[in-house]
Amino acid sequence: MSASPLHDIWEASASQPLEASIGKASQFYVGFALLLIGFFLTSLFGLNNTFKNVSLYGIPASLAFGFGAVYMICAVGVYV
Amino acid sequence: MRLLQWASLGLVTLAAADSNLTHESRNILPSVFKPPQHFRNVNLVRNINLDKSYAKETINVVIENIDKEPQSHYYLPFEPGTIGRIGAVEVKDKKNPERGGFVAEVTELDPYSPTEFYKITFPTPLKPQEQLTLSINYYSLSILNPLPAQIEQTDKQYVLYSFSVYAPSAYVTQKQKTKLKLPTTDVPDAVVLPKSLNAEGKEDPQKSGTTYTYGPYGEREAGATQEASVRYEFTKPLVHGKLLERDVEVSHWGGNVAVEERHWFTNRGATLKNHFSRVAWQASSYYNPPTSALKEFRYPLVVGSADAYFIDDIGNVSTSHFRSSKREATLELKPRYPIFGGWNYSFKVGWNGDLQSFVRRITGSSDGYVLKVPFFEGPKQAEGVEYERLVTRIILPEGAKNVRFETAVPIVSNSTGLHRTFMDTVGRTTLTLTAVNVVDELRDRDLVVIYDYPSAARFRKPLTIFAGVLAIFAVSWVVGNLDVSIGKKQKTA
Repeated sequence: MSASPLHDIWEASASQPLEASIGKASQFYVGFALLLIGFFLTSLFGLNNTFKNVSLYGIPASLAFGFGAVYMICAVGVYV
Repeated sequence: MRLLQWASLGLVTLAAADSNLTHESRNILPSVFKPPQHFRNVNLVRNINLDKSYAKETINVVIENIDKEPQSHYYLPFEPGTIGRIGAVEVKDKKNPERGGFVAEVTELDPYSPTEFYKITFPTPLKPQEQLTLSINYYSLSILNPLPAQIEQTDKQYVLYSFSVYAPSAYVTQKQKTKLKLPTTDVPDAVVLPKSLNAEGKEDPQKSGTTYTYGPYGEREAGATQEASVRYEFTKPLVHGKLLERDVEVSHWGGNVAVEERHWFTNRGATLKNHFSRVAWQASSYYNPPTSALKEFRYPLVVGSADAYFIDDIGNVSTSHFRSSKREATLELKPRYPIFGGWNYSFKVGWNGDLQSFVRRITGSSDGYVLKVPFFEGPKQAEGVEYERLVTRIILPEGAKNVRFETAVPIVSNSTGLHRTFMDTVGRTTLTLTAVNVVDELRDRDLVVIYDYPSAARFRKPLTIFAGVLAIFAVSWVVGNLDVSIGKKQKTA
């Protein structure tokens, strides 16, 4: 048995560096676009406040806000 | 929280200005304990390197088992008051350095005991009559004291190093010698020992360049001491870190590893006899003479580091350079004022690194990750830097679990907890490791952390926001459709 088993795991995983799905350079654009989509869909929902529109615009808008907010806060330097 | 931390730091500094006695991670021995005389030191050579502002001691000793049974515990005693300054005790087999498994740990008698011990455990017991060559390494911090304690601003600084010419030993030592490696030949005082003590009838110390040798000495009983001291020129700051807090924050979403180090430095050097003269200081900057003041920190970082910052109590310090290229990333920091003896400076520095250089997916595991970062970085100074206490926090993503770690830096405690910050719901898993009496020579040692990070935990942040915003939509639909009109509804045709 090696004296440093965790270090061996590090060496064995050399071919699998973890890369973020969205690189640091594009986080702002992705975040901004998603937030923009979110605001756009919210406006559409605001035009006609019905239950159908909650699912039609509300769910995609919430998803866009969720991911957009995470990427935007990363883009401004608070890496969450 | 921060206020409490600062207050406790102040108390600790007051209570134990020099020593760093810790009561974490110790084996408690019975108060009547005396190491059993299972061994004999056949030959011992102790090298003390004083090039830096701390002493690096290497004891190479041939030990022999004189008991009838195989033995695997060797005790290394330290005088009271000194064990709290000893750090990074490491033991190797001198003839076979690759052979691992030697464990050195602090043991404690009772609080009033005059002597404390490090217990060294061998990987395999040593058979009777057999010999083993141990190489014991450790660092003594806060061991140099300026003498005179007050000097002029441009004076040379001299420091006093007191020691015992006999190596600390819990066993009979048949032959031994102590060698001092000084940084200079300017040694105004060195205690001279009579010829009668030396086995070869020579007067100690024997000088050869910057090396001073005491010994060889004949058989000495366990615990024998013979005080001696040297006073030599050391016109460099005695950089002493009271505390170093280091945070490493891993972000899978951002693809980033953010590092922040908070330092509390003091210069243990000679204090100024008169007031600080800005004119003399500015004049000396043209010919750059050696000085006991600390005027710059050089911080080599991992290649690829970016977005460095340098902040002290007042705010951003603009006298810094960050040199970053494909080959190096160096942070050059100039404090707001030169730090003379007795002066303090505290600051924080931070930088970002790319996730892919530090984190890898574990082969054959769906959500296992391995992180490798330096245990601490800190400045790299020609005169050396010592840290009384070092607290490294590894802040993993929220929801990470099964955290295991491995490091070559001797630590005194570890704990896993939660750290709550931006966009967190339950808090991020945090591994806190504490080391005491660490020197900058250990700065390249790594810390490897393994953790599991399931996808359910990964999507916690966006899904929390999703749920929150969706709730707002639902509320707005409900509220928007409430009929709050007064009176009967008018029927429209």
